[in-house]
Amino acid sequence: MLRVLPGAALAMLAVVALAGCGSSSSHTATSGTPLVGTFHLTAGSCSGPSVTGTYFQMIQPGGTIAAGKYFENPDSPCVNKSYTSGTPGRDGGLVTGRYQPNPVPAFNRLQSALADEILAPQSFTEIDFAISTNALDPQTGLKVPAPEVYDNNGRLSGQIEAWSAAWNDQYFNQGSPKPNGTSPGLTSPLTGTYDASTHAFLLTWASQVVGGPFNGFTGYWHLQGTFAPSPA
Amino acid sequence: MTRLSPTAAAVSELQMAGSVSARVPDRRRWPLYVAAVIGVALIVMPLVFNMFDRAPKGATMLEEFRPFMTTARLDGFQADIRQVSAAVAETNGPVSQRLRSSAGSGAGSSSFPSSYTSLSSQWPVIDATMTNLLDKVQGNLGNYRAVAALPSFTLFPWFFVLPGVITLGLAGAGLLWPRRRGRVRVALVVLGVGLILAPAVFQMWQRAPEGGRMMSAFRTIETTSNVERIQGYFSTMASGQGAIRLDIVPALERSGLTTAEIESQFPAVATLDSNWVHILNDMTPMIGAMSDGVPDYQAISSLPAFPLFPWFFVLPGVVLGGLALLIRPQGAS
Repeated sequence: MLRVLPGAALAMLAVVALAGCGSSSSHTATSGTPLVGTFHLTAGSCSGPSVTGTYFQMIQPGGTIAAGKYFENPDSPCVNKSYTSGTPGRDGGLVTGRYQPNPVPAFNRLQSALADEILAPQSFTEIDFAISTNALDPQTGLKVPAPEVYDNNGRLSGQIEAWSAAWNDQYFNQGSPKPNGTSPGLTSPLTGTYDASTHAFLLTWASQVVGGPFNGFTGYWHLQGTFAPSPA
Repeated sequence: MTRLSPTAAAVSELQMAGSVSARVPDRRRWPLYVAAVIGVALIVMPLVFNMFDRAPKGATMLEEFRPFMTTARLDGFQADIRQVSAAVAETNGPVSQRLRSSAGSGAGSSSFPSSYTSLSSQWPVIDATMTNLLDKVQGNLGNYRAVAALPSFTLFPWFFVLPGVITLGLAGAGLLWPRRRGRVRVALVVLGVGLILAPAVFQMWQRAPEGGRMMSAFRTIETTSNVERIQGYFSTMASGQGAIRLDIVPALERSGLTTAEIESQFPAVATLDSNWVHILNDMTPMIGAMSDGVPDYQAISSLPAFPLFPWFFVLPGVVLGGLALLIRPQGAS
């Protein structure tokens, strides 16, 4: 009996340790079927003041996601300049289960960002911004997990800590939760919907910028398109 | 004759000191007790003022500002503001007249996009605020350099803790080994003189008040509300410049002007257009440094005032030196 105890204690310790540090999404309540593959994005499309497809908005400090005040991007093709539409990148969109990192170098001589796997670089006040996911978040230097999305009867959840925007030779973590597991300000979890028959999806989240020239601003991300699972 | 080991000698001294003190109050001890208290105070002071947390933030703030605190860089920011100012004035004046006349009548500045009119209406306030801010920063360039030339803020707590530990050690040695009080006395005098000279060696008498003036000047700059105001200005400027680039210049082209004619007739608008990316490259990191500096500034502004710092060395130095002179080695009359 006494011989068994150390083994049982070790097993319990191992379970506790695994529960504590093993899961990359330990900060996020996730359940359901993991969707591993490519979330092919539908390009943002402006029709009058409304926008469909993939886009993002930047909310100024003190504003709300629903009502702003928004940062207006003069280079937006939309009438409502608070919307910056997105165009799918070389991978067609967001890939879960692995990273889509920044290229080297990540910026050109005008300090426009060059990452183009998830979204094509998009002009933001005449300088291109770009999106990537990296094992080490470029702004904070913290290790972050690759994006994960789970389907629970058509409702999506997960974590997208690694979502990073690059602009003007600077990086802004735009993930949810943030790389330290917190959700400051207007940061909201990744949520969405998924139609298993058509594979159509909608993913949204908000992420407050922490540090740098846009400290306190919040990015609201709206990704729409069709999911394609990775080949088994 | 048997020689005692050092430990045995110390025990013997302690026993002697104990037996002597048991018989006669040792009035020569009190300077050592006071020195011990000063030592403890020096050790505790950084903890009381939370220096181990706050002082490194001062070092971080100085480092964040370093790239921008040059005459050339600050002159560049002033030039950026002047360029926007000139472009707004030109758009409101000659450009508006040109567009109005080419349209026949009726269309004037009121036909500009709202993102431009927003910039135009806010510009006098933005200009005054930004120019005042840059003047203030530029006026404190010398003060910044003086503070940056001090030893790293990260070391500051140790400037108190180390002399404190040494003082406490010496006082303890003097109390434990009365026969060594002569050496303790000399060491305390040396330490006291060192503390008195330290501010002069680090030019603190000049630099600390300059740092104090910089901290005062930055009090209204390094606040969350001020940084958010400047972020808002930046947003307005970016939208307004976009309107000039994407709406107003094309309108001039539609009025029959070539690119070369726009550049020659409206040089301020053309200059802002061609320099805008450079202005963004220049200004956004500065706004980032200002924003990131707010918590750092607030941390160091809650430390004791900079001009007091030399006195934190001199006063303990004078007291320690004076106490040392009052210590009488055992056997001395």
